[in-house]
Amino acid sequence: MLKAKWWKVLSFFLLLYTCTYGFIVKVPKLDDRMRESIRNMFFHVPMWFGMMILFFVSLFYAIKYLRSGNPVHDVYSYAYASMGLVFGILGIITGAFWANYQWGSPWVGDPKQNGAAIALLIYFAYFVLRGSLIDTEKRARLSAVYNIFSFFMLFPTLWILPRLTESLHPGGQGSEGNPGINGKDMSANMRTVFYPAVIGWTLLGVWISTLNIRYQILKLKKEELL
Amino acid sequence: MISLLQAMTANNTDSLMLRDGKIYLVMTVVSIILVGLFIYVASIDKKISRLEQETKN
Repeated sequence: MLKAKWWKVLSFFLLLYTCTYGFIVKVPKLDDRMRESIRNMFFHVPMWFGMMILFFVSLFYAIKYLRSGNPVHDVYSYAYASMGLVFGILGIITGAFWANYQWGSPWVGDPKQNGAAIALLIYFAYFVLRGSLIDTEKRARLSAVYNIFSFFMLFPTLWILPRLTESLHPGGQGSEGNPGINGKDMSANMRTVFYPAVIGWTLLGVWISTLNIRYQILKLKKEELL
Repeated sequence: MISLLQAMTANNTDSLMLRDGKIYLVMTVVSIILVGLFIYVASIDKKISRLEQETKN
């Protein structure tokens, strides 16, 4: 039996809504360059929102692990970080693809692009660190500490530095407010798809993370470490 | 199955799928992929649940 949870069903319907209404909702025609590609807001941007949320959950369990020493918390922290990284990689690939047609090149050295790449590299190191340690307790403890560091590196790389310079992304120097939080910059029509899209993609990420968690716990039980 | 698809494309869905630059066609393709992905994730969920039951017993 499928471990039934209402939010799994919710995730499905929100994403079905995103992938259908997202194509037909009326979007503002800004210029001849953007045209329909603004609909990428329903797919590219939720990857980053999802990544940040999953990384935050990973941080939460990393701290929880340091307080409890319970290996299950380490499993949680690891699973959410890896799904967050999947979202990040998908975000950077879709971003480069979009940039190729919007800005003329897949990599234009935009501050947010560079910042996102650095943030992802810092998270890559988390997995390198995990892979390099054999002792499970040492691995869990060191990677939990590193996880805290890597999450707080999101502040300069994604949230502060790209806003201090001119950027092709929304929210660079010269534009008002924080586009990540201030939804008023988006047309009301688009917001009716954008927020459900963010929730839907994030819930899908949570679902896949829980699958990984359950698999890892089964593995620990089989190895009689739990 | 094939005849069913042929019947569908020949009649009522035709007008919808060919309208507005065929955007509904893309919409349907994306939806099919999405449904397929969810079925796959749900099936993995089921398999893990079964394993969890076995280890419990």
